[in-house]
Amino acid sequence: MPTPVLLAEAVSRRYRNGRGVGPVSLRVEGGEVLALVGPNGSGKTTLVRCLGTRSPHQSGELLWFGKPDPRRARGRLGVVFDATAHVDELSGEENLQFFARVRGGASTEPLLRDAELTEVAGEPISSYSYGMRRRLLLAEALLGDPELLILDEPTLGLDVVGRRWLADTLAERRRRGLVAVVSTNDTEFVEAVATRVGFLIDGLLVQDAPLHQLLASVGGLREIHLSCRAGVDADLLRRVAGVERVAEVEGGFTVLATRRDGLLADVLACIGELDRKLVDLSVREPGLADCFLRLTGRSLDG
Amino acid sequence: MAERLPAAVAQSARRAGPGLPGGLWRLELRAALARRRALAIKLLFPLVLALPLALTGAPQFFAAMLLTVLIAMVGTVGTGVSLTRSRGAGWLDRLAVLPLAPWRVGLEVFLASWLLDCLQATLMILVLELAQRADPLTVVSTWLLALGTLAFSGALGLAVATLTDNAGEAMLLLAVVLAPMLFLSGLFTGVPAVGPRYWVAQLLPFSYLQNGFQLVLHGNPPDGAPGQFLWAAGVFLLVGGAAAAALGRPLLARGA
Repeated sequence: MPTPVLLAEAVSRRYRNGRGVGPVSLRVEGGEVLALVGPNGSGKTTLVRCLGTRSPHQSGELLWFGKPDPRRARGRLGVVFDATAHVDELSGEENLQFFARVRGGASTEPLLRDAELTEVAGEPISSYSYGMRRRLLLAEALLGDPELLILDEPTLGLDVVGRRWLADTLAERRRRGLVAVVSTNDTEFVEAVATRVGFLIDGLLVQDAPLHQLLASVGGLREIHLSCRAGVDADLLRRVAGVERVAEVEGGFTVLATRRDGLLADVLACIGELDRKLVDLSVREPGLADCFLRLTGRSLDG
Repeated sequence: MAERLPAAVAQSARRAGPGLPGGLWRLELRAALARRRALAIKLLFPLVLALPLALTGAPQFFAAMLLTVLIAMVGTVGTGVSLTRSRGAGWLDRLAVLPLAPWRVGLEVFLASWLLDCLQATLMILVLELAQRADPLTVVSTWLLALGTLAFSGALGLAVATLTDNAGEAMLLLAVVLAPMLFLSGLFTGVPAVGPRYWVAQLLPFSYLQNGFQLVLHGNPPDGAPGQFLWAAGVFLLVGGAAAAALGRPLLARGA
């Protein structure tokens, strides 16, 4: 059995208020991209900070490349947390150069070009938009071809082009053996890059399965998103035949149902007084967010 | 996607080349030098205090006391507050996951801050010398002593940054830590010739520096000679640097 790139056995880090993560066990091997998905406060960031060698775990065992030594692992790791801290007075290129030097003189040219920062490379970071800072942050993590990439909310602030660049880069590097752990609620991005998905709820990994398997589990289902004013009873919606889950989200409900024919009419009838109560309605094929809802009973929106 | 890199970028990218890891102190120092307005204020601020003291013939004991307090504040506040801000912005988080030894991070951030502080102190002492025309050996030894004091104070600021999460808290804690040290160094009352306070004062750089400034201002301190200042400067430089390296780990551990 090959040594996993990342192995967590009952890893736990809890704060005094009980929040945090663990015990969590996971195993990530070569060529895998594991996405950690969960609502706010589910422990994603705490777990990613432990996996990214930033925060020590309180119990359990955490091995990077088969060794429990975070200091030795850092030379083979690329890490991105939510903060976009740079030396703002200096240029993007100068910042990147610093990280390149730390990584043993890695080449910065291709990354500047691929992240579409070449034109602004000589300008101070203080003049960068948030999206540009995020792209630079990701480029810095990719310097020196890390073997393991730990990314917390990597698509935050990225535009469509930036997201595509990141997805393509991860796919291309994965083919060369890169392993990545990505914490995000951007399910569209997860569906584009992940090979495995872990669902976190209240600091516990409640599901850990291949992406295709999870998506197959919601095949044939239908998702209805209702935006409505007050006065709609969730329990009535739950009693509609074929409705499997109803999650209350901001300004409405997400309904996940197995039945297709006649479903919409039944749901609308259940709401009643549509002119007064219903603001918007959308129906779509289910994806990872619906899978999360179906398996955990909780919505990723909160 | 752009096809060609501008020549300057390409050249600089080649310059990075293979080399020793780090260069953090250079990065931090260049950032500080790039903040033109903040730098101008930083350099002017000690002069605003030093010039009137040097030109108006203020009593040497009190003038030296103020100059010593100023050096102590420059060293502690500069390092302590800037590091606390760096933590708040997430910069220390980023440094903590790089393949850099914590002692190295501690030493390099300390070094950048110390070099800037040295610039401030050097300007101030230069102005004092121009106004007072003191003996060159006295001035040079006092200058070196000021650099040693800045190293000690900088390490103190770094220590405070390992305990605080915001700039206001850091300022308050610095005042709480520094005030007793300054008192025990005899800055306000002089140092007794015998007893525990005498020995405590010998272990801190501030009494030496106050004596040095008194000499520069043509006063008659009860103690101190250029040779002693040189020795003390070396010791406090080493103590400051060693403490900064040792504090690298707790500095990065906070907020983990």
